[in-house]
Amino acid sequence: MKTLCAVFLLPLTVFGQATPAPVEAAASAPAAEVASPVPSSESWISGYMELGYRSRSGIAGSEATYRSIVNLGEGLKLTGTDFTILDPKKRLFERLRIRAYDWGGDPWSTFHIFAEKRGIYKFLGDYRNLTDFNNLPSFADPTLSRGLVLNQQSFDTKRRMGSWALELFNGRMFSPYVMYDRNSSSGRGVSTFRTDGNEFAIPELSRDATDLVRAGVHMTLRRFHLTAEQGASIFRNDMNSYVARGTGINPGNNLNPVLGQPINLSSLLRATGVRGNGPFSRLTATASPVSWLDLFGHYMYANPRNEVNFQQLATGSFVALSQALFYSTGQSILSATSYLPHKSASFGWDLHPGGRFRATQSLWTDRLNSNASALTRDRLALAGNLVVGSTTSLLDTNESRVETNIFVEGPRHITFRAGHRYVWGTAQGSIIPAAGLPGAPYSVLDRQVGLAGITWRPGSRWSLAADAEVGKGSGAWFRTSLYDYQKLRATGNVKLTSSLRLSMDYRKLHNENPYSGAAYRFDVHQEAASINWMPKSERLDVQASYEHCSYNSAISYLQPQILAPALSRYREYCHTISGMVTANLPSLVKGVPMKVLAGGAAVMTAGSRPTTYYQPTARLNVPVTKRVALFGEWRYYGLDQTFYLYEAFRTHILMTGVRFSR
Amino acid sequence: MLSTKQMARCAGLALAAFVLLTTAPYLSYGAAQEGSSAKGAPSKTASKKRSEGMAPKQFGEEYAGSQTCQTCHEDIYNNYRKSAHTFVETDKRGGWTEHGCESCHGPGAAHAGSADAKEIRNPAKLKPVETDKICLGCHLNTAKHSERIMGGHAKSAVACTTCHSMHAKGPAGLVLRAPADVNAQCSSCHLSAKAQFAKPSHHKVPENSMTCVDCHNPHGSARPATLQTFAANDVGCIKCHTDKRGPFTYEHAPMRQEGCGACHESHGSANPRMLNRHEVRLTCLECHANIPGAGQSQAGVVPPAFHDLRSPRYANCTVCHQKIHGSYSDRNLLR
Repeated sequence: MKTLCAVFLLPLTVFGQATPAPVEAAASAPAAEVASPVPSSESWISGYMELGYRSRSGIAGSEATYRSIVNLGEGLKLTGTDFTILDPKKRLFERLRIRAYDWGGDPWSTFHIFAEKRGIYKFLGDYRNLTDFNNLPSFADPTLSRGLVLNQQSFDTKRRMGSWALELFNGRMFSPYVMYDRNSSSGRGVSTFRTDGNEFAIPELSRDATDLVRAGVHMTLRRFHLTAEQGASIFRNDMNSYVARGTGINPGNNLNPVLGQPINLSSLLRATGVRGNGPFSRLTATASPVSWLDLFGHYMYANPRNEVNFQQLATGSFVALSQALFYSTGQSILSATSYLPHKSASFGWDLHPGGRFRATQSLWTDRLNSNASALTRDRLALAGNLVVGSTTSLLDTNESRVETNIFVEGPRHITFRAGHRYVWGTAQGSIIPAAGLPGAPYSVLDRQVGLAGITWRPGSRWSLAADAEVGKGSGAWFRTSLYDYQKLRATGNVKLTSSLRLSMDYRKLHNENPYSGAAYRFDVHQEAASINWMPKSERLDVQASYEHCSYNSAISYLQPQILAPALSRYREYCHTISGMVTANLPSLVKGVPMKVLAGGAAVMTAGSRPTTYYQPTARLNVPVTKRVALFGEWRYYGLDQTFYLYEAFRTHILMTGVRFSR
Repeated sequence: MLSTKQMARCAGLALAAFVLLTTAPYLSYGAAQEGSSAKGAPSKTASKKRSEGMAPKQFGEEYAGSQTCQTCHEDIYNNYRKSAHTFVETDKRGGWTEHGCESCHGPGAAHAGSADAKEIRNPAKLKPVETDKICLGCHLNTAKHSERIMGGHAKSAVACTTCHSMHAKGPAGLVLRAPADVNAQCSSCHLSAKAQFAKPSHHKVPENSMTCVDCHNPHGSARPATLQTFAANDVGCIKCHTDKRGPFTYEHAPMRQEGCGACHESHGSANPRMLNRHEVRLTCLECHANIPGAGQSQAGVVPPAFHDLRSPRYANCTVCHQKIHGSYSDRNLLR
């Protein structure tokens, strides 16, 4: 609460300050020093702050779904503040910008600060406080048939992310910088303890944090630039599950006895601790050695490393099916170390000799070699056996891409583009010793792609662009990866009149896997159009957009239990409309209109998961003085899913408040 | 004791530093952002400047000076003086002192005399490639543009002025910064992406808790869809989802090879957790299909026979295979 008060009250202080008089000081300075960025008639500070109180009508339907998707709460809120301060004397800064949105218990709160004094420093700070809640039973609920609506993979966590960067001597030849990022999360959730013949939903507490520090230097010359950066990360992750003895027997997802005996859980202690670090380096260079050639290059290297300690002690009635043994206590200990050396490099050139011709070529390569080793000890009480083992896990992935594009300038601001992309790579994965059913440890990526594009941008009135890709593969990472595909995208912007603009967007992707047994076909196309109408009187602003999409996917697989062929078919046909009408109406305060906004979005999908999701909204801004306005806002959220009625919800949200602006 | 690899890296860095230090004096000085426009600068003056180091630039009669521009274009001039570009007007090293307007618009004396719009260069009305040439004359050699040619905007000839307002959009600067404004600007062209965010399970872009540039680099990136990167070369998704970074003792290969998009619709979906299929098991079975002979593309293990999909226990693979992004302690991603 104290934090909230501070957040509310601090920005208010700017309204209490008298506007300084920099103009006189600037006026007396010599001409070259008059460089005041603030014209005399304008304020040194501009921005707004909006405070309000939100109330909710109550949630009809599933509160868990509401929290998973919307999660707006009630109470006093700082819905937003955004201030820019320009210091005409450039004492501590030339420009200071502060933004904060959705504070006061909202699920996503953000704060941003930017300050700059050119040639001296640039400071950037960003902080986000996010609530990550997800409890949608349709995701993982094997007990629905027993009337238990519980997502066995749900979570309720808080994530806090801060990123702070300071660059010195910005804009000068040598500009060093240092950055610090911290990303942490903590919370609880529902996880699963699995044993042969049964699975048990269990609570899990999770906490992770990543600290990342990096420092580097930009060296900037007229024809050459180099950035060298060195950084390191520190990672911690703890996941704990505890089911106390005496809290009752957990019967699990399977109520049927296995080999005549029920399988259940009495107590569990499970802890996973991960500690890691990872140095990384980055080198970026650009150069324009001659006026008709630009060169680009990147080299990045990272080598994160994690150490894992895992312990698990479970009591109950369990079975080891492979040994046909029943036991009452199982203990597992694992200690592991994993590395992930990861190298990426790219190089490119842009050749523009003048005239109508231009060519670019880029080469990118990414090499990732994950390797881990683990020592395990598993002991089953009553059975009396101790199994000690070790595994080595490897995953090597090399991927490269070379792309060439040739641009030709045609008449009337038309540009043609033709190009070619070749993507290739290999991947190899294995866990030694091998266990279970074999997979394919080796895969090859090999794809040739033809590229074409045309753009017509004669000015601000018209703009049309289209891009096409036609790919032919002879190997891909996975069955559903891009194989033989055609991709098309076209966009257009047309200013029909001085007040009416029309935009269009069309996308299409068709992908097929030609190999026998896969029979994969994937088609998606999206068509969207949008209009923006703002008459000259500026009393009205209308924005409206509509999108239609169609997803069709079919791929065959064998059902594991009977090895009978089956088809995974996914269909989605969606209609999405969104829009906002803003009307500026006369008000009691001269020069400041009363604003009425109405609009929102609605999605209707048919197919594999028919869904309707409505989000209409309306808002009224009533100015009280030139700088103060009252507002009222209404929102409605309504979700319906035909096959998952228990996840539907609807609610009304009302908010009233005051907005200060300068 | 340094390993061979480390020694090779040190030697490379030392060589690079040596080359830089020895060639730097031959490269004309002037930080890239400090106003040496490629076009419009009088070439004689530019070469003179190179030879004379920091000597002030001499402008011919064809130049009018920014004060003259201000006379008629006061609002634009005032906005420009509040923007980050204002230093062009005052910084002597750039060579455009008191001629900042003409650093982009070219010589303006003729236009000032005739008030004819045809007598002055308007970058907004040039071909995109010509507009970019003016901007990149100063901004090309910066870290931000180092992967420009691999980005979709450069390939589709989207000019810098499409997103950036050279005279500043109010006090904000040269480009919109508030999340709502950034997202609105991107979605004015990327209409389909905007529509995807209206679906129930989505990243919080419509709520303006995120912006498009949190994930995408509009200036270009080597990653598909111009994705940002994190900690050198991890995909940008990891910036927020740091617990998915690993390295895991047992990796799930699609995470490393195809990225998050292998299973998730990153903008938004009607399916829970932004999955690209309506049921979890279908997302998994499409790769773990149990079908041999599908070329060289069948990576991954196959589910054993006790996975009876008719039982609700096996309807959602993630009930048991809970660490689907990679596991620290179980080879089958069970814990």
